[in-house]
Amino acid sequence: MGNKQTIFTDEQLDAYQDCTFFTRKEILRLHGRYHELAPHLVPMDYTNDPDCKLPLALIVNMPELKENPFRNRIVESFSEDGMGNLSFNEFVDMFSVLSETASRELKAIYAFKIYDFNVDNYLCKEDLEKTLNRLTKEELTPEEVELVCQKSIEEADLDGDNKLSFADFENMITRAPDFLSTFHIRI
Amino acid sequence: INDYMDERVDSNDPEEMFQNIQYQKEIIANIRTRPWPMRRKLKVLKQAREIVLKYEGRLTRTRGYQTAGADLLKKLSRVLYNIVVLFIPWEVRIKKIESHFGSGVASYFIFLRWLFGINIVLTIMTGAFIVLPELLAGAPFGTTRSKTIPKEHLASAQDLDTIWSLGGYLQYSVLFYGYYGRVRKIGSAGYRLPLAYFLVGMAVFAYSFIILLRKMAKNSRLSLASASDENFTFCWRVFCAWDYLIGNPEAAESKGAAIVNNIREAIVEEQEKKKDTSLAVLISLRILANILVLLSLAGSIYIIYFVVDRSQKLEQEKPELTLWEKNEVVSVVVSLITMIAPSAFELVAQLEMYHPRTSLRFQLARVLVLYLGNLYSLIIALLDKVNSMRPELSTSNTVRISFLATISQPEADSLSTLVSDISTSEHRNSAIATIAMVLDVTNSGRSSSGTISNQTALFEKNTRSQQEQCWETYVGQEMLKLSIIDMIFTVASILLIDFIRGLVVRYLSDCCCWDLESKFPEYGEFKIAENVLHLIYNQGMIWMGAFFSPCLPAFNVLKLIGLMYLRSWAVLTCNVPHQQVFRASRSNNFYLAMLLFMLFLCMLPTIFAIVRYRPSQHCGPFSGQEKIYDIISETVASDFPLWFSKVMSYVTSPVVVLPALLLLFMLIYYLQAIARSLKFTNNQLRMQLQTERTDDKKKVFQMAAARLQAPEAAGDKKPDQQESDVTSQEASIHTPSPRRNGSVTNFQSPVRRGNSIRTIAQSASRTDLSRGSVAGSVRSPAVTVLPKHRLEHIPNSKHVTSNIMIKKTIRPIHPVEAAGIITAQSYGGRRGHTTRYVIVNEHEPRKKLLRSATRIPRHYLMEESAEILELYPRNIKRYTPQEEEEVEEGKSRRRMSLGKAHRPRSLSDLHQPPHFYIGDRVESHMSVAKDSHAARGKYGAHVESYVKPKTRPKLETPLTESDSASLASSSDQQNSSTDQYIQVIHNKERYLKSDAKQGKLAKKKSKTSFDVNVTESNDLVSSNV
Repeated sequence: MGNKQTIFTDEQLDAYQDCTFFTRKEILRLHGRYHELAPHLVPMDYTNDPDCKLPLALIVNMPELKENPFRNRIVESFSEDGMGNLSFNEFVDMFSVLSETASRELKAIYAFKIYDFNVDNYLCKEDLEKTLNRLTKEELTPEEVELVCQKSIEEADLDGDNKLSFADFENMITRAPDFLSTFHIRI
Repeated sequence: INDYMDERVDSNDPEEMFQNIQYQKEIIANIRTRPWPMRRKLKVLKQAREIVLKYEGRLTRTRGYQTAGADLLKKLSRVLYNIVVLFIPWEVRIKKIESHFGSGVASYFIFLRWLFGINIVLTIMTGAFIVLPELLAGAPFGTTRSKTIPKEHLASAQDLDTIWSLGGYLQYSVLFYGYYGRVRKIGSAGYRLPLAYFLVGMAVFAYSFIILLRKMAKNSRLSLASASDENFTFCWRVFCAWDYLIGNPEAAESKGAAIVNNIREAIVEEQEKKKDTSLAVLISLRILANILVLLSLAGSIYIIYFVVDRSQKLEQEKPELTLWEKNEVVSVVVSLITMIAPSAFELVAQLEMYHPRTSLRFQLARVLVLYLGNLYSLIIALLDKVNSMRPELSTSNTVRISFLATISQPEADSLSTLVSDISTSEHRNSAIATIAMVLDVTNSGRSSSGTISNQTALFEKNTRSQQEQCWETYVGQEMLKLSIIDMIFTVASILLIDFIRGLVVRYLSDCCCWDLESKFPEYGEFKIAENVLHLIYNQGMIWMGAFFSPCLPAFNVLKLIGLMYLRSWAVLTCNVPHQQVFRASRSNNFYLAMLLFMLFLCMLPTIFAIVRYRPSQHCGPFSGQEKIYDIISETVASDFPLWFSKVMSYVTSPVVVLPALLLLFMLIYYLQAIARSLKFTNNQLRMQLQTERTDDKKKVFQMAAARLQAPEAAGDKKPDQQESDVTSQEASIHTPSPRRNGSVTNFQSPVRRGNSIRTIAQSASRTDLSRGSVAGSVRSPAVTVLPKHRLEHIPNSKHVTSNIMIKKTIRPIHPVEAAGIITAQSYGGRRGHTTRYVIVNEHEPRKKLLRSATRIPRHYLMEESAEILELYPRNIKRYTPQEEEEVEEGKSRRRMSLGKAHRPRSLSDLHQPPHFYIGDRVESHMSVAKDSHAARGKYGAHVESYVKPKTRPKLETPLTESDSASLASSSDQQNSSTDQYIQVIHNKERYLKSDAKQGKLAKKKSKTSFDVNVTESNDLVSSNV
């Protein structure tokens, strides 16, 4: 690590380790991956925080995300501008939340963001339909989609407003046995 | 935000400074769990670090050292962690598999890696404490009888088949129990090898138990409560279906198909909950299937027993055995059964027509029983053999000795030959040697050489059989052999069943009349469950044999490494993802539970053998003892001081043991009782949750009715409402998570059910009234909206001062406010209810309801908003740091405290030592200013979680009766108190202290003034505009 070109200062690495669930090696690897996406855009030297953002289209093509039906949403919800342009910071952030050791609560917050397609802070029927269609590649008939959406809202909606607020969602998702193990991308 | 913090730390009070630093450190420690963008995290982190760095030096020296030490420790641990992570093997490989097959298949490999870790530790334990000392300091090979290959075996000792069946040189090596010397202390340091052997043997089990249980506990903590009977089937199938690990198109496709199937299945199940196939046929089929399974289980057990028995007989009858006959028969048969039977079970399971999930469970249970049956029948057969070996040995020995003694008396002249005979076979039993000596002495020297030669032949034969009967080595050999054969079979099955099949399917599908890839042979599936079971079975063998063959764990390490590479290669090249999705997270503990079960059952035979059988007399570290565990009492007696053995004898006497046992039982009973009651509470809470949900729906209807009665009223509020909804929602999502877990559950506690419903009814009737009284009153946006907007757009740094500004601007309005209070008096009682209701229910419909209910006092409430701004820092500021610790408590308490918690908070918690501003608190600060919804939510949350247990009784007494009276009477006191707040805010450092003092003072002076504050804040909060 040390004898190569310095990518980050020790301080930066320390700060990243404090802010994420990654080890030093993983952060460096992440930088490698980030660099790989656009070698001509991303500098190797990050010691002075260069301002560099990669567009959604590049990031979505990572093998880790490529097959994910929600890839665009994932990237969008982690970008500060909401358009899916990720700086390295946001990039690290994304994989930190999706890492194995991130807490359930944190994951739930971002999962909610990901499934909230229209960014209205509720999961409404429309969001659910989109989720389902991406998940099943539109293999279900409209009636089936309708039924599933209705049932899901019925199950999780605690206040009867026909859409899922974050509280509803969290309540539901934290009880799911698989959530922690599946909402997870190993980098 | 951070300026806000900075302002507060310009203090010289070391206590405060220390706490500030503590607080900053807390930020640093928890920053990674905040849902903020990275840029903000980095900034906050940097600032927090700077503050810590800046002020840490000002503290006393000891504290400085302490913190420096802690820092160093942290740094070291991080470096250590970074290093340790480097050594976690197969990370990349597992990742690749994960991306191809999802978390299910990966869980097998992770489990394998975990087992590998355990075996490494076991290897180190046995290697360092048994094998190495024996090799280094023990008697070298060939020096003692138990370490020498008998002369008649020497010729074949290097033959492949001897080695292959673990005989020859391998038998007399550190691999097996028999090789270890019986010398109590070896080497110059006096290493007590036999004692170490025994202790390590036990430690292997102890370590495995501890590590397993710890892992299980950790897993179950992660997977929360038993979620099996929760009814989120559809939600989970939608939101948790996708495995984010998948990064391979094929896997993604099959996962997509699986999800569709899964959802369809759920739909079908939902549509027709019961199926109506011909039940009689089904039942009879299932009975038949079970009978078949039982038969095959019984058959496999019988075959194993028969094979062991036969091999034993063969050994007795024929001196020369073929390679096949020798021993492989046993392990080959066992391995064959373990390979074939699961497939047979699978065929049988198709008869049963269970739901795939159920059938998978059945399959697993059956395979587990089969494996256990195999191991058990094998070990029982072996022990049986041991049993039959031993009596024969001892009887023949004594008979022979007496025979020898009687015979040799008359025939003593060929004594010399006898002696020479004995000396040539010097490795023989010392007892016999002494007998020979006795013989030597007693013999008078007349005999016929013929009988003597006869006799010595007999003698030879007996001693040889005796030599071979080191039953511990025998058991160890069997286990190791089984492990080896199992490995060979696994490799063969991977190559044959997966690889060859894959090749055939791929390359012959063109020249075949049907589609090989999709019809008959297909590609092999990776059967996670069976493979995991096989791992467990394998580990079971290791545990079973580790005592008798100390190198077994080391062998297993090698085996697992091989398996890891072979399996991952096979999976990636010639397997397709399993159709039946096996739940990874839950199965994790499932695997472990099975492993634990296996460990326990595998420990039993070893323990049984140790307790029941006498160790072999001529080999192994315990030779010459009556029982293996005598080594402990022997050591205690000889090597410890006298008092220790005395104490030990007391401790092990029934007088102590019986009460201790009794105590244990009592403890178990007690814990079980607690567990039962917890379960009961759990169930009750769940019931409450369910009734609450139905209640919620009822409330929605009631609300609709209420809205019908006052449609215009609701109509005019619309724009405001929406705005505030959005902001509150935003705020609640952006706030850091710790406090939020389980909040929903708490929102629906049953306590308030009655009240809230009542409120609805009331509100419906009151709206008319309120409209009349409030119609002309100050509802103007000038007053209400202005402070809100200002706060919203003011940059963080000016936050505090702006508060004050507002405060000042609003002051003149106080008279109005007083008037408002008076007019509002009549609603006081009711308002209590509403408030409570509001604080508890954060959801939309209730907000609407609320709006109609609390519109009356709104005008004065809004004017008060500035007041609240200052009140709530007081409430919030010092408690926030505790928040995280108290989440648990807070959660449960929230249920009881609801809105009533306001008063106790302001009264009793003033003594709390001052704490510091946190980022999220400041955020909430903002949101209070922004809109009262958010304030309500957060305020309520804060308040509730800060209530100390002591104050709990207080909370439960309703607050509402006194409110209306106190409102009017003490409004001046309240004013004065707010004045002080202003002061305080100017001078941050003393703020807390003066606040506290004032709080105490005020408390003495008049409790009512706080009540007023509280009720007002309640009102404000609930006014929601």
